[in-house]
Amino acid sequence: MAKIDQLNETEQEILEVIKTVPDPEVNVNIVDLGLIYEVSHDEANKIIKIVMTLSARGCPVGDTILQHVQTVVSNMFPGYYVDVELVWEPQWTPALITEDGRAALDGGF
Amino acid sequence: MQAGLSTKNAPSPKVVLPFYAYGALAFIVAAIMMFFTDIDITTSFLTPKVLSIAHTLILGWVTMLIFGALYQLIPVVMEVKLYSEKLAMASFISLALGTPFMAYSFWANFIGDSPVMIIGGSLVIISVILFVINVVGSGRKTENKTIENRFIITSVVWLLLTVLLGISIILFPQILSHGSFIIHVHIGIIGWFMMLVVGVSSTLMPMFFIAHQLNKKYLERAYWAINGGLLLLVITMFFELGIYVRIIAAISILIGFIMFFRYNFSAYKKRLRHNLDVGMKLSVLAFTLFLVTLITGFLSALGDIIPVEFSNRINIIYGVSLIYGFLTALILGQMYKTLPFIVWLKLYQDKVGKFKTPLPADMHSEEAAQAHYFFFIAAFTLLIGGIWFQEPILIKASAFFMFITSLLYGYNTYKILGHKQQLKPLAMPKMHKKKPIVKS
Repeated sequence: MAKIDQLNETEQEILEVIKTVPDPEVNVNIVDLGLIYEVSHDEANKIIKIVMTLSARGCPVGDTILQHVQTVVSNMFPGYYVDVELVWEPQWTPALITEDGRAALDGGF
Repeated sequence: MQAGLSTKNAPSPKVVLPFYAYGALAFIVAAIMMFFTDIDITTSFLTPKVLSIAHTLILGWVTMLIFGALYQLIPVVMEVKLYSEKLAMASFISLALGTPFMAYSFWANFIGDSPVMIIGGSLVIISVILFVINVVGSGRKTENKTIENRFIITSVVWLLLTVLLGISIILFPQILSHGSFIIHVHIGIIGWFMMLVVGVSSTLMPMFFIAHQLNKKYLERAYWAINGGLLLLVITMFFELGIYVRIIAAISILIGFIMFFRYNFSAYKKRLRHNLDVGMKLSVLAFTLFLVTLITGFLSALGDIIPVEFSNRINIIYGVSLIYGFLTALILGQMYKTLPFIVWLKLYQDKVGKFKTPLPADMHSEEAAQAHYFFFIAAFTLLIGGIWFQEPILIKASAFFMFITSLLYGYNTYKILGHKQQLKPLAMPKMHKKKPIVKS
């Protein structure tokens, strides 16, 4: 399982696809919000696994975001089993937001 | 499926949306009623028209929206399914029918044992009991025993006491003293509205602000200070223990709300979202107006220490700033933070990732929202000015601006409710189409 700062080329591509998924509340993509923890790609078994979190436990659009991730990755990598796992540990903190994410939150709307 | 997710717990939209639709209409009706009441509101609460408007606003607008929003938010704050959707729908029907009966009855001055009032009051009580069963039933299921949830559960207990005492005052006016009316008003204002707002906003505001690592000790202290103070206030009003006990109670309640403010202010300061959308701008405005309620509420507790020529106006501003100021601003704002999401999830939940969908924030007219933000500020300022200077022309001007506010807000509510699905082809990053997957 690769942390998102240690991704290979394919996993980086998967991350780029996930970047098309916004948090509908703030309209910033979930990669820049720091919600994606790990991405792995198993070519032999045709499995893509994504480990992610949400910024708040009660987030009303939470499983829509998970479903969104699963759909876009499945569309771009047909034939793969895409497993999106939601974890609460380590807990998300604002420190995980990227510079781009911060800029988008600050002046994005 | 996944722990802690609330979309799966969310009630069917058809349970929640009627509350929003009805609330917007009641707000417009109440604004129209204001045109006919220029003299009354500057003199006292206890006139037929003022009581009628107060109950249209409190029941048809504020309580209606709170019930609806809470049925949606219980899964968010308690992480459980709503106890019963059928009871929720029944509570809507009952409140929707009871409110006009009560409003008409007050307007026509049919107080006492008039059949219209008894029917209206009974329907409202049934609605409240159904609501209380739902909230307490959901609260029993939750494993999430947070301080925020405790505020919500406690507030509905105070609500039940408020309406039971209210109907007792109407049915047995000869038995219950004037103190009962004051208790009815205070447990309704502090125990129900304010405490509920503390519970819900302490959950939602940090979520919307994206603020983390807040000190919940402030909320714990707020809980005991507000409830302890309110209990003491009720006891002192019932037994007429005098001004000093009342002031101690008022100080305790005030300290409680200051603790709550501190908590929310730290969320505001730690926020990552610096550019607030119109929903959050209105919510921040609401909390600013809440200061007016707190100050006038505290002054009104001083009673005879304040000269009577001022105390009457202070008492009216206390009530008006809560209902037409704080709670109205909060609802105006929080509608934009809740209703678009409910409709959006209904229409687009299964479409994300397959099509390009609008965002929840794209579903209303931003111009209308920005306009009613300023119209509302004008209306509220003129209303307070009109009451303080006892100037009917200012009240009329306020009624006009509040009417425009209600129309713009109603327009946006119905625009969101009537939103039709808009799907566009999805644009994905191009690189994947060019390049096959490389083995890792």
